[in-house]
Amino acid sequence: MDHLIFEVGTALLIVAFAAYFAGKFKLSIIPFLIILGMVVGPHAPDLGFIDLRFIDSAEIITFLGRIGVLFLLFYLGLEFSVDKLIKSGKNIVYGGTVYVAMNFILGLGYGFLVGLGFYEALIIAGMVSVSSSAIVAKVLVDLRRTGNKETELILGIILFDDIFLAVFLSVMSGLLLSDNSSTLSTVISVLISIGYMLLFFVIARVGTKYLNRFLNIKSNEVFIIVVFAGLFFIAGFSETIHVAEAIGALLFGLMLSETVHSERIEKLVVPYRDFFGAIFFFSFGLSIDPRTLGDAIWISLGAVILTVLSNVIAGMIAGRNAGLSHKASSNIGLTIMARGEFTIIVANLGIAAQLSPVLKPFSALYVLILAILGPFLTKESSKVFNLLNKVFKWQEPITKKSIKKKIESPPDA
Amino acid sequence: MNINECELPGIGRKFETITANNDRIVIIIHDDGNREVYHYDDNDDEESISGVTFTDQEARQFASIMGGMVYQPKTLESINLAINDLIIEWHKIDVKSPIANKTIGEYDVRNNYNITIIAIIKKETENLLAPGPDSRLVPGDTIILSGARKDVKRIYQDLLAKGRD
Repeated sequence: MDHLIFEVGTALLIVAFAAYFAGKFKLSIIPFLIILGMVVGPHAPDLGFIDLRFIDSAEIITFLGRIGVLFLLFYLGLEFSVDKLIKSGKNIVYGGTVYVAMNFILGLGYGFLVGLGFYEALIIAGMVSVSSSAIVAKVLVDLRRTGNKETELILGIILFDDIFLAVFLSVMSGLLLSDNSSTLSTVISVLISIGYMLLFFVIARVGTKYLNRFLNIKSNEVFIIVVFAGLFFIAGFSETIHVAEAIGALLFGLMLSETVHSERIEKLVVPYRDFFGAIFFFSFGLSIDPRTLGDAIWISLGAVILTVLSNVIAGMIAGRNAGLSHKASSNIGLTIMARGEFTIIVANLGIAAQLSPVLKPFSALYVLILAILGPFLTKESSKVFNLLNKVFKWQEPITKKSIKKKIESPPDA
Repeated sequence: MNINECELPGIGRKFETITANNDRIVIIIHDDGNREVYHYDDNDDEESISGVTFTDQEARQFASIMGGMVYQPKTLESINLAINDLIIEWHKIDVKSPIANKTIGEYDVRNNYNITIIAIIKKETENLLAPGPDSRLVPGDTIILSGARKDVKRIYQDLLAKGRD
């Protein structure tokens, strides 16, 4: 026990190393943290002078990681606004629906195809449907594409996707965390989680005035204590009525999202989200025995191929519907296919409910591949487009000649 | 100018416009305070040909330069104040201004231009209020003059501006 801080410190040092390394190469930190977590952990050999197995500290690292999930989903809830979605317009609603429906249905089908049970297939369908907001936003900023036409649509679809995630997690936690196996009690438990969710929606709508007044606290110190107390209490309380704690955090964020204080809370929460979130990815890596990865390699590769295809196709449909060119539309799917934090959170729900053990290595491999492949394909999107263009012949290949021709004969105004 | 504004969830806000010269410009204000400005290809409006990133501080400074709002009294060359048609202007006398090292009387400013020189702000000596015709203008002085818009314009072109370039 004396070495607890030292062990946690060592773990944080590894997390910091992964973060620094990822930052240097302008990559998402998520895959690095998972890989390093897998490499060390209880399966690693004891080096003697420094214990990289993190046996004594495993519990506390997992706990810190759990806090990370709370912050990740609390922040998601804060960002999320029904008004924003309504204002975003039909192109986004259409694109988002196509995107989520296509991925979800294909994911469900794939789950059955590889011979998994109903709940496992549902979890896989959820995992393949939720894009990583963090990776996508980072890639768009890093590649300086924030000003592009398709970016609006990409972020809109992600917003839509996040709402799907909230509903999906609520329903799934009701389905999976009910203690009885009879159909009736399962239905009741699902209804409780949906009702619980609606309750927060109503509070967010009706109670905004009171929340505004109640949270009108000048001191940052008192403010953050009040908000965090609410976050942990509500998350913990949710668990007692079989709604996953992560959902509790999400709903609490949602409740505060309509208040005038939401921006202040967001600013305060971001550093906590980033810090504890990083520990979450690391602890997820720790929980995976690299030797089990082999069991999941084919099913993960199949899911990756499926995701790449369905993302490109859904992106193309959404983009063309919004009047974008084929090139911009192909960017949508290539950007949005990155998978990360939310996919792991969905998988964790299935793991917590003791579904098939293959979910764990599957989620690790699937996220690892797409967290790296997604940003890579986004970066090389022009090459990918030219390749696709050769097959589908959407437009005349862009060469210097064709640009010159355009300049010589400008289109009629 | 028509500016399209839209939200980029998780990133910030986007402002988009096409200028009179047909340049497509996009400005992104990031939630973290950074600003980005992109300029798109005339032929392919999906390919940005240049982009700059400003920090919050830089963006504010830059905006005031673009907007002509920079107010830095030390390097002030001229400012003007208009009350209906009456203009009051400040001008710094340049070495090459025709009026430099001349007296007000030599050009008979009041009669030739219908302009009143209200004051001369001297660099080294005492400021002159309501200077007489024999007051001499030394490079570096700032004169404050008032008159009708067209007269102010004329005196500026004849006596003050030529030394500017």
